[in-house]
Amino acid sequence: MLEIRSLSKSFGGVKATDNVTLDFADGSLTAVIGPNGAGKSTFFNLITGALKPDAGQILLNGLDLAGRTPPEIVRHGIGRAFQVASIFPSLTVQETMLAAVCADQRKAGLLHRRFPLAETRDRAEHAMELLGLASKRNRTAATLSHGDQKLLDIALALVLDPKVLLLDEPTAGMGTEERWRMIEKVRELWETQKITVVFIEHDMDIVFKIAPEIVVLCYGRILATGKPDAIRRNEAVIEAYLGTEHHAGITV
Amino acid sequence: MTELQAEQALEVPHEAKTRRNRDAVIALAVFVVLALLPAVFSSKLLLDFVIRCAAYGLFATSLNLLVGYTGLISFGHGMFFGLGAYGFGLMMQKTGVPVPVAFVATLAITLVVALVIGAICVRLKEIYFAFVTLAFQMLIHSTILSWVSLTGGDQGLRGGIPRPPFLGIDLSNQLHLYVASCALLVIGLFLMHRIAQSPFGYTLRMIRDNATRASFIGIDVWRAKLTIFVLAALFASTGGIIMALFVSGAYPEFAYWTISGEGIFINMLGGVTTFLGPMVGTVLLLILNDTVTRLTDYHGLVLGIVILFFAIGLRKGLMDFVVEWYAQRRNGARERG
Amino acid sequence: MDLDALTGCLASSACLVTQTTSGFIIGMLLFLVAVGLTLIFGVLKVVNFSHGAFYMFGAYFAMTAYQFSGSFALAMLCGAAGTAILGLIFERVFMSRVYGADVLMQLLVCYAFVLIFDDVVRMIWGPEFKSMGMPAAFQVAPLFIAGGVVPPYYLLLIGVALVAAMILGLGLARTRIGKVIRAAAHNPGMVSALGINTGLIYGGVFALGGMLAGLAGALAAPVRSLTPGMGFSVLIESFIVTVIGGMGSILGALIGALLIGMIRSFGSLGFPLFTEGLMYLFMVIVLVSRPTGLFGKEVA
Repeated sequence: MLEIRSLSKSFGGVKATDNVTLDFADGSLTAVIGPNGAGKSTFFNLITGALKPDAGQILLNGLDLAGRTPPEIVRHGIGRAFQVASIFPSLTVQETMLAAVCADQRKAGLLHRRFPLAETRDRAEHAMELLGLASKRNRTAATLSHGDQKLLDIALALVLDPKVLLLDEPTAGMGTEERWRMIEKVRELWETQKITVVFIEHDMDIVFKIAPEIVVLCYGRILATGKPDAIRRNEAVIEAYLGTEHHAGITV
Repeated sequence: MTELQAEQALEVPHEAKTRRNRDAVIALAVFVVLALLPAVFSSKLLLDFVIRCAAYGLFATSLNLLVGYTGLISFGHGMFFGLGAYGFGLMMQKTGVPVPVAFVATLAITLVVALVIGAICVRLKEIYFAFVTLAFQMLIHSTILSWVSLTGGDQGLRGGIPRPPFLGIDLSNQLHLYVASCALLVIGLFLMHRIAQSPFGYTLRMIRDNATRASFIGIDVWRAKLTIFVLAALFASTGGIIMALFVSGAYPEFAYWTISGEGIFINMLGGVTTFLGPMVGTVLLLILNDTVTRLTDYHGLVLGIVILFFAIGLRKGLMDFVVEWYAQRRNGARERG
Repeated sequence: MDLDALTGCLASSACLVTQTTSGFIIGMLLFLVAVGLTLIFGVLKVVNFSHGAFYMFGAYFAMTAYQFSGSFALAMLCGAAGTAILGLIFERVFMSRVYGADVLMQLLVCYAFVLIFDDVVRMIWGPEFKSMGMPAAFQVAPLFIAGGVVPPYYLLLIGVALVAAMILGLGLARTRIGKVIRAAAHNPGMVSALGINTGLIYGGVFALGGMLAGLAGALAAPVRSLTPGMGFSVLIESFIVTVIGGMGSILGALIGALLIGMIRSFGSLGFPLFTEGLMYLFMVIVLVSRPTGLFGKEVA
């Protein structure tokens, strides 16, 4: 259970995350949506330790992780993938996976053994299979296609066996068809791995079709939470989304 | 980095062990060949050359652990070369302890100094890291120049370094010094290669490629950088010790920034993408230095033009070039076959 | 260490004036070199390791011009203009080839030219120490200010450097070219998108940087001895200045240069052998407390 309690962060007076309180139940799949600048990425950065919150708690199974460093938070079981695939360009897919498992087993500092470690092999193999990267194991990450790089980024988070997986726009920069394939993959991973998945998504079709739970952020605050149907009918959400389009319409 | 090729990645554990044993066998063979060299060629010049290669080679290869493997461009790595030379020389001159004790004590001093300097430097970003390491290098150099009563100032540690025999080894004998230097070189390279091929070596590659991502898979980047900074310093210091033994003294130039500059140049010359690149670079630079100095007074001019050729012409080191050429040839052969 | 000398000097107005003047001399010369470095870094993101050579060439050009013509003004002009041309050629022919490559390659090209330029000077002017000599116009009795001796040439040197700094500052702030240069420093892609030739800007900035360093060398020629390799210590000190001031900041370069000038001037009294050490120590302290320098922009 991931519980966010009154999480706040401001940048020079601008409240990027404003007193956010949220629960993510174990094994839930939640989409975080909101207009540009709503503070979605900041929210992820706070949870994963990339940014230190000004106030509030991040409780993972009761343990407060707020303000800890990214490596500590990862080790407690919150993994993440990035909006722009964040990978190791010169390592091969397989090396990336093996090295990540090494890190997870606290063996990243070992000097006296030779890479790769035998005990890391199965998990690395499993993660590559899960994301369909096994056939590209010997390709260096830099030579992969955009979509495969995004998959590798997710694999890098998943191979650590996280309890909670945060995906920052898994479908960013993809064409329509590829988007659906990617989001199906995410859904499949969620179903088979039984982990808590939170993802940021812009495409409303995808969100309403895939996500059982939706959180709407606007100017750093929670505008609404709930099931797709409830969100669709929510006045505030309609206002926030249509409102901006309204204004755009008037000026044209 | 594609050192880990397909066949290697698929190997089962006992094969990894075989590989390591193979490395040990190669190291031993290289040492035996080097040690037998004087029996075939009695040239004193050759032995001197190899000793210098050992000193600079250890230094340059250790720098590559920082530059090539971790992406830490240090401009002050030469300070540990100088520290090794001065630490060892002073220890022998002032205390008269046996050589092995002075050796270990010098490494211990290096460890402490590198820990302190590294703790300050490794959190800085790229160009600032380069300059702060350079500043520390110059700080140590200035200290050596100004602390005349201890270091002899710009005259250096003169009067020779006593090298009392131990365990039947007499380092004042050129042949003994030669064999000892070869042993240190081979052991040093073997250990550094193991570091490069260890899980930690891959952690370094990840940090070089994408330090942010590395921290998000649970790696303490600061600690890993500090660790390799200290380890590299120890090997550089060993190079300095060999140098002090070789010239029987220590001079401020050993701690001057140009040593670091040469180290970076050696790395570029040989190439940073292969483990042995810096070693090849060392041999090339020393040969180049020796011939050019013999042929012309305008040593810098010729050296500069050679550097330009590598930097603008090839845009990579010699070993990088060879490896790429080999890979292309092999691919070509595969396509034809 | 000689702290008595230092405290003694601080108590005497004569000594204070003399040391402050010499601190200003060192500082202003360093500023001229460092501001070029910082401009080149700001606009091209290149750390010009061979910048000291321009200072050296400026001094030699000035000396030769003075020997042939006997005109001090012409000597200064030759020093500045000669190095400007040199800077332009250096950038267009060599540096422009390694912009895409990694930092290491750029440093190596510069390192190569440090070696080459020193030997070229040795070939043309010989390896021994040279001196330009004080121009006749300045061979007059020194001024006495509050008991301190100040040679008139020092005042000219400080004045010229200050005027150059002001022209530079105003030029960057007010003129169109200045604005383009500052825009290029911010966002190189945008400038080329606007249809401005970035090659021209890059070459121009290198020429400007070279010219300022050359001017510093020319100004220093009457009061310093000339030798191949003279650029290097100046280069290292200018680096310290830019790093302390913050890479890319002109105000930072000025403040940093004056700080280093004063540290050198007063430090040589209190710590005659450790004067250089003091500078490095100061740099370390600044960087540890402010990793991007006093006026550097925080890197995100």
